[in-house]
Amino acid sequence: MNSKLFLLAFGAVSLFLGSSANAQTYAITNAKIVTVSGPTIEKGTVVIRNGLIDAVGANVAAPADAKVLDGSGLTVYPGFIDAYTNVGMPAAAAPPQRGPGGQQATPPPASKSNYPDGLRPEDQAEDELKGGDSQFDTIRNAGFTTAATTGRTGIFNGQSAVIDLAGDSVSGLIVRSPFAQNISFNTIGGQYPASLLGTFSALRQMFYDAQRLQAIQKQYAANPKGIVRPEADRSLEALYPAINREMPVVFKANSEREIVRALDFIKEFNLNGMIAGGEEAWKQAARLKAMNVPVLLSLNFPKRTASASPEADPDSLETLRLRAETPKGPGRLAAAGVKFAFESDNVRSINDFFLNAGKAVEGGLNKDAAVRAMTLGSAELLGVADRLGSLDAGKIANVVVVKGDLFGKDKYVTHVFVDGKYFAQKEPPKKEDPTGKGGGGGAANVASVSGTYAITIDIPGQPMAATWTFNQQGSTFNGTMVSQMGTTQITGGKVTAEGFSFAASVNYGGSMIDIAVSGTVKGNEISGTIDSPQGAVPFYGTKNP
Amino acid sequence: MRKAVVFLLMASMLAISPALILGQSRTDILIKNATVMTAVKGTLANTDILISNGKIAKVGKNLAAPAGAQVIDASGKYVTPGIIDCHSHSMLDAINEGTYSVTSMTRTRDVLNVTDIAIYRALAGGVTAANLLHGSANSIGGQNTVVKFKWGHPVEDFPIPDAPPGIKFAMGENVKRSTSFGPPGGTVRYPRTRMGVIETMRDAFLRARDYKKSWDDYKAGKIKVQPRKDLELEPLVEVLEGKRLIHAHGYRSDEHLNLLLLADEFGFRVGTLQHGLEAYKIAPEIAKRGTGVSIFTDFWGYKLEAYDAIPYDAYILWKNGVNVSINSDDDERMRRLNLDAAKVEKYGGVPEEEALKMITLNPAKQLGIDKRTGSIEVGKDADLVIWNGHPFSVYSRVETTMVEGEILFDRAKDAKMQQDMAKEREALEKLDVNKAPGSGGTQPKIPSERRRGDRDDAEFGDGGNQ
Repeated sequence: MNSKLFLLAFGAVSLFLGSSANAQTYAITNAKIVTVSGPTIEKGTVVIRNGLIDAVGANVAAPADAKVLDGSGLTVYPGFIDAYTNVGMPAAAAPPQRGPGGQQATPPPASKSNYPDGLRPEDQAEDELKGGDSQFDTIRNAGFTTAATTGRTGIFNGQSAVIDLAGDSVSGLIVRSPFAQNISFNTIGGQYPASLLGTFSALRQMFYDAQRLQAIQKQYAANPKGIVRPEADRSLEALYPAINREMPVVFKANSEREIVRALDFIKEFNLNGMIAGGEEAWKQAARLKAMNVPVLLSLNFPKRTASASPEADPDSLETLRLRAETPKGPGRLAAAGVKFAFESDNVRSINDFFLNAGKAVEGGLNKDAAVRAMTLGSAELLGVADRLGSLDAGKIANVVVVKGDLFGKDKYVTHVFVDGKYFAQKEPPKKEDPTGKGGGGGAANVASVSGTYAITIDIPGQPMAATWTFNQQGSTFNGTMVSQMGTTQITGGKVTAEGFSFAASVNYGGSMIDIAVSGTVKGNEISGTIDSPQGAVPFYGTKNP
Repeated sequence: MRKAVVFLLMASMLAISPALILGQSRTDILIKNATVMTAVKGTLANTDILISNGKIAKVGKNLAAPAGAQVIDASGKYVTPGIIDCHSHSMLDAINEGTYSVTSMTRTRDVLNVTDIAIYRALAGGVTAANLLHGSANSIGGQNTVVKFKWGHPVEDFPIPDAPPGIKFAMGENVKRSTSFGPPGGTVRYPRTRMGVIETMRDAFLRARDYKKSWDDYKAGKIKVQPRKDLELEPLVEVLEGKRLIHAHGYRSDEHLNLLLLADEFGFRVGTLQHGLEAYKIAPEIAKRGTGVSIFTDFWGYKLEAYDAIPYDAYILWKNGVNVSINSDDDERMRRLNLDAAKVEKYGGVPEEEALKMITLNPAKQLGIDKRTGSIEVGKDADLVIWNGHPFSVYSRVETTMVEGEILFDRAKDAKMQQDMAKEREALEKLDVNKAPGSGGTQPKIPSERRRGDRDDAEFGDGGNQ
């Protein structure tokens, strides 16, 4: 257990160094190095200095001033990249509350746009990002160092930002911003466009209007005489980079028909398009290849989550097929020569990202291609391959050290560096030691969840408040959930080192539905997902003092 | 286990292309010895039809089968043209954009869902083509798509390329009541009366006329700056130019007459009056203008403006020389349009062939696709239905439906397919991903597009008429 001691000591050192940690020089020695850009080095050294990768090689010596980490038995990867996520972005805003008499209690934020909220391509993720977001810890601990993040709502979701998952200030996070325009085939409640029909016509009109405004602004700039001054329009102007193919346009599309619609739109306006999600992208592989449209491919593979109620219809054959076929999609896309990078699509547990990547490998994807799709391949699609995505001298020191099989259940991330800054890792969850000689494990590795929490259940468009109480005993807990839907007893909840989970039946509009809840508690903050036959919704909240 | 994997592979191919399994793509087909109801040249006993390259190549007796042709013995069976439904909302992921009273910028083409099982069921009822319309929440609704039901094909194969474009108009209660849309405390939508509806239409055409003029001026060099491309007004310019057909939902004859007068004022022809349960009251006025009427045979009374209907509507219109079609406006009724046609023989005594025309050639004419489909004539697309008995009998069923010579429904193959799918389901349900677990993963989304809230009938409870 030398390495454990070392880790503990090292954690203390990095704490001590505080914010200037990335001034430290590190050398990871004797490790297997997956450079991704070149051949894998079976045993070598990675040197990190001043936030950059200083040297990589089999015969590189650790510099005298470096903290040396013994990487024996470990594998070094470039930091993993999540190519499409909402990390760091605020939760979906609650719909405006209306007071008595139909007056708005909280007026919507003022905007200088001519377009309603949700149809504003000028919105930027960068402006809403929260530095030091607690979600960063979770995904960084899993090995992610970089993410392309965008807003959660609207038809235009906001221009995405490529961020490094470290730093308490937004300016410290940004690697590239804006990266891409993001479009989802959503609607806007209560006003045009309120249907999918209108979504397409509204988008189409805006792209035509942007083309025209750009043309007449040029015309006016060249010679204003005799021309009525064209009005400025920040929303349309924000589309210029998209219509000029200077900025990618990412369409969120999972089903085959959504993907076809996105491809038709990309073709209609000659956009530099990408697909995000891409659950059924393999069915359109030939066209994606022909149009050179890459896919930011979700590893949030579908699977059945809840026991159906006795009255429920059986799952449709389409659904059963979808669940069986989705893990084979990445291999099929690769075989067809479609470029893709993996994204989490806010998977329920970030570890599912790697486990599902493993399923993609079982489903026919080459293992190296799977690693590439979360490192250099992603960096290429996000336009940051000159800085990130591989272990090459001169690139940003986003480095992850892994023990065990990256796609296996026993994977453990031992070290994470972001911009050369070391982040202390939690110990891996201990397995029950049958010899009883483990010493110290067991209960110490179970999270503490007891308490009363003020919860917001983030049902799209109608967030619901609830109060949850957990009474923990060892690795189990009981408790209650109280909301406008009544009071529900929780029994047989489970607690692990990672978080908690329980199943319950709740009265929903007069009928009982089964829900499966899982989440994590971090300090006073609680968050997670509720799965039900109606779909999955996130929840979050805080512990009452 | 290995067998299961192989089976899954086969099943996934099934999922990719039902056409591969079902389709007899472009193989010559000879239908032998059928009773052929041509819908234009009478009913021919003991007649053969040769289908070549997707077209009807020959109709006659004792035709020889070319080498490699599939021969279907249709002794004792009936063949009709494929049924055409002039008013449908099948395979649409959204039906109404209810926010504005003029939503001519929307296109049903944008929201087609080629996996909608209603397509296959329609084929099983002998329907091969349909007019996919926007809903009736607006004075001027969205642009239509006229499709052939090419089940298993990619979406781009569905629209009939040479069908003239159309657009939905609507008048009466649906439009007026749609004014109750909007956020609580927000403003209600104009118009709220029948006079407001016709005014909204007139206003839109005046705007379209001005819009066209601005482009004409620009092209003539009278103005320097290119006008805005206005997706709302462009289709209305096409209406004014006679290039786009109006399909106008309405019930009261005064309202439909008002629309005809508005069209006179702007100088275009209305394509069809949809529903038109009172159209018999203005039959001569309709006939004079060459406008079609697309009706239900005997479905009425589901709202106030639908009370003044009679089952003789089709007969009176036909007697007055109006082109009448019978539509479904409904996935269910679509599968039994043959029986709705049979009823007009009973009420008033429309002759058999004229009744058949009301679900075949007449809607084809209303939609401008009669050059290629709607009757059994040499040179037309082989959109054909083989029935096991007379199509106007409640005991008859469709045995085979083909679209452009491709068999897309076959009752015997369907039975086999259902067995295969049951086996496939059994294999799939054994997979871990399909078992109910303790936790993990996300439930696949329930397709939001099938929410009934999108549909007029759910919003208005008016018995499914849109």
